[in-house]
Amino acid sequence: MSQDPTARPNSAPPERPRKALSKMPTGIAGLDDVLHGGLPEARTTLVAGGPGSGKTVLVLETLYRAAQAGRPGVFVSFEETADALHANALAMGWDLEVLQQQQRLALLDPKLDWHAVRAGEFSLRGLLAVLGGHAERLGARLFVIDAVDVLMRLFTDEGRRDDELYGLHAWLVEHGFTAVLTAKSRPGGQLQPAYSFLDFLADCVLTLDQRIVEQVSTRRLRVVKYRGSGYVSNECPFVIAHDGLVLMPVASAELVQKPYGPMGSSGHASLDAMLGGGYRRGSSVLIAGPTGCGKTTIACTFARGAAERGERTLYVSFEEAEDRLLSAMLSPGLDLAPFVEAGVLEFLTAMPESMGVEEHLLRLLCAIARFRPAHVVVDAISAVNRMGSEAAAFDFLVRLLSACREQGITCFYVNQTPRGSAADHITGMGISSLIDTALVLDYRWEGNQLERSLVVLKSRGVCHSNRAHRLTISDSGIGLAPLAMSSRQEET
Amino acid sequence: MPRSEPSSGGPRAPVRMTLFVAGGEENSRRAQQNLARLCEQELNDNYTLDVVDVLEDFQAATRQNVMVTPTLIVAEPPPKVTILGDLRDMERLRAAFGLD
Repeated sequence: MSQDPTARPNSAPPERPRKALSKMPTGIAGLDDVLHGGLPEARTTLVAGGPGSGKTVLVLETLYRAAQAGRPGVFVSFEETADALHANALAMGWDLEVLQQQQRLALLDPKLDWHAVRAGEFSLRGLLAVLGGHAERLGARLFVIDAVDVLMRLFTDEGRRDDELYGLHAWLVEHGFTAVLTAKSRPGGQLQPAYSFLDFLADCVLTLDQRIVEQVSTRRLRVVKYRGSGYVSNECPFVIAHDGLVLMPVASAELVQKPYGPMGSSGHASLDAMLGGGYRRGSSVLIAGPTGCGKTTIACTFARGAAERGERTLYVSFEEAEDRLLSAMLSPGLDLAPFVEAGVLEFLTAMPESMGVEEHLLRLLCAIARFRPAHVVVDAISAVNRMGSEAAAFDFLVRLLSACREQGITCFYVNQTPRGSAADHITGMGISSLIDTALVLDYRWEGNQLERSLVVLKSRGVCHSNRAHRLTISDSGIGLAPLAMSSRQEET
Repeated sequence: MPRSEPSSGGPRAPVRMTLFVAGGEENSRRAQQNLARLCEQELNDNYTLDVVDVLEDFQAATRQNVMVTPTLIVAEPPPKVTILGDLRDMERLRAAFGLD
């Protein structure tokens, strides 16, 4: 037998230069980041988790993405039938049938005969022959064995079971196959004692679990070990979305500080002048103020300006349906419908109460991944509190901001605050330190006339106006004029 | 050569079976020897036996869900019986063939 490359890599003297480990990307959104590139190539990975924790979906998606990328693989299922797997995959939009016809994938569901009579010694040589045969037929280097614990029930003697597991592992290593095995774990995350040997054999171990927190079910993934590679050791929440697994970006501690992009217009010349040129691409902007003072109009003015430059904006509305928002914006002269038709502006609407924070975030991140906007507007973040607890809302905002920063997306947070207090409420959601530019709107009554005002409270690294301006909204859009200079109104 | 009669007596239905082996591995070799002895002692000439080497024909193993070697599948007479192992346990083997 050839040398076992898994033999105690940790015992190598630390000064010895470590050969970079080859990795196979899983193609699963977010997972390759956590694994610093993917699963170890030509080695064995164990995915452990309780029933319903998402093991099968994870390994099936890995195999599907690999096959699609031209790396054929063999899936052996000891739990679900091939028909059930085909159906489950198809529900995710993964057509395994086509990949099978293209000789990129083999799906085996050997039915173990539990009534078989045991009359002497036997080994897994049959399985290895079948695996080897299909691998040769397809030129496959990847194996997925789903529910290896079910297979190992063939061996009633613990010593024999360990021998056979070792034999299976040795065979995979000897042939340089990349293997992903799944096994059930107990609620605490521990493998059944009978399979702890697997834990030891594998070079990379992932655990999955599902728990209920604040009445919302959350799935989490953790990398327990990864010989010869770094990895993100935090628990990562994930969801099974309509087209596969999505791992969420992890909390504020890892907030990426990407340098900001060039200055882009706010969509209005006078506002640009107040802002010292506009907004920095990839920065985060807060537009705060009480109801009816023009926050949405300012956000939509920006969206129109961006659309005219051909930059995509995703407008997330928690307050109004798309058609109502579009018709409401006709009154200040903002006809956004043509931009929606042209595909440079997209609305994503949902009632905050309709789903949990994870689902909201996932839906949003999926929309961002699909639509690839340059800018995202969230109108309004005050509604996010209605998704559940305040802590959850904060988590939502930080994770969204983090995802946007990573991708250089400008983020506009509209926040509704009580009248006369917007400036104080900027810290209300606890995100003020993450905000680069803050616009504060307010209004007061001058006799029986409503006077709106706008002030740029801060704009990091930009020389901006400190003066409060009068904000007018007419059928030709917004107008801004320094408050002291009263009557003169600027228009664009 | 002495022949023992089937213990249940009377004419028996012909036996049709397939033995899956993995090349010349020890267990497979022993299974063939043990099965040959059973055939000679108990089945007279009233049987057909196919021996499939999974290293040569993995597709046959795939079709028959053979995961371990050696595996003996007795297809006839019904019901189908699967027997795993090198067949050293003659008592179990005889029981599986209904030869009590």
